[in-house]
Amino acid sequence: MNTTKMEYIKSNLESKKLLRTELLFTPMLILVPSLVSIFLINDWYVRGFMQGNAAFDGELMLGIIIFIGNMLFDIPFLRFLVKKRRVTE
Amino acid sequence: MKRVMAPISSTKKKLQSLDFDAHWYRRVFHAFGSSFVVYYMLPDTIEWIAFLKMWVPISVLTLAFFLEIARVQGVISGSHFFGLRMYEQKRVGSYLFFASGIVILLYFFPQQIAVPCILCACLADPIMGEARYRFGKKEAYAIGFLVCLLFFVVTWYKADLWVMMVAAFIGSIGAVLGESVNAWWLDDDFMIQLTPALLLLMFLIGVEAMGVTALPEPIIYPSLLPW
Repeated sequence: MNTTKMEYIKSNLESKKLLRTELLFTPMLILVPSLVSIFLINDWYVRGFMQGNAAFDGELMLGIIIFIGNMLFDIPFLRFLVKKRRVTE
Repeated sequence: MKRVMAPISSTKKKLQSLDFDAHWYRRVFHAFGSSFVVYYMLPDTIEWIAFLKMWVPISVLTLAFFLEIARVQGVISGSHFFGLRMYEQKRVGSYLFFASGIVILLYFFPQQIAVPCILCACLADPIMGEARYRFGKKEAYAIGFLVCLLFFVVTWYKADLWVMMVAAFIGSIGAVLGESVNAWWLDDDFMIQLTPALLLLMFLIGVEAMGVTALPEPIIYPSLLPW
């Protein structure tokens, strides 16, 4: 696929309107994966660690993977979102 | 002249920064998909949860399908969809392929296959994208292979060592092959999930035909929270 096709579609709307779309979804995009990873780690702690059951170790690993994997992209996204807000304000 | 050039320059800067935001927005959207593994924590024994598990994914997918059809046909303006790429202007968006892959995996594949394949699409795919952007194509595939290997090892760690190693290798190769798909009508977000899933299913069928039980215990168990 060539570079032009990989470019993003530019809208004629004002950038503030586009920014709103991002802001609307941001809490969900960031909070839900974090909650799911906490949910998994909590389940490992309660049913696995506390009761000495190693069958739940997979939930711990999965929880850590989801948390780190999401933070890897959430942090740069939030950094640019904050920067952009300062520019448009 | 300065009065004319200043707003032009400012708008250009804004558009460039929007490009970059869209870039990270897509990455975050990808990573968000990993939350869908929560599906396996929801118990089937409670009727209303089983009902939601059955109907919510397919309903959301159907809604997205009709939205995309409306956008491609021009009924809904494309400007409402943030972060679409040029090649998605006259084709359904990648997110629909992404969602279809997840729904197919959740409905038709065992958890041990579905979970690592979903993680490949949600986390390995954006990691490969970033690596390609920073280091180059070959390096990106190498990094992607290692990341996928980790996901398959983690989800198959309860299997026999040889089964885990073969499954992880097959799955990772499948994910990288799926990611390298380059056709406008078939998205890599779909193939990165379905290629390793189908390869692993064939492996499982082959091994089980020899009388060996290869499928390990699931790693996610339905939660005991007071629903």
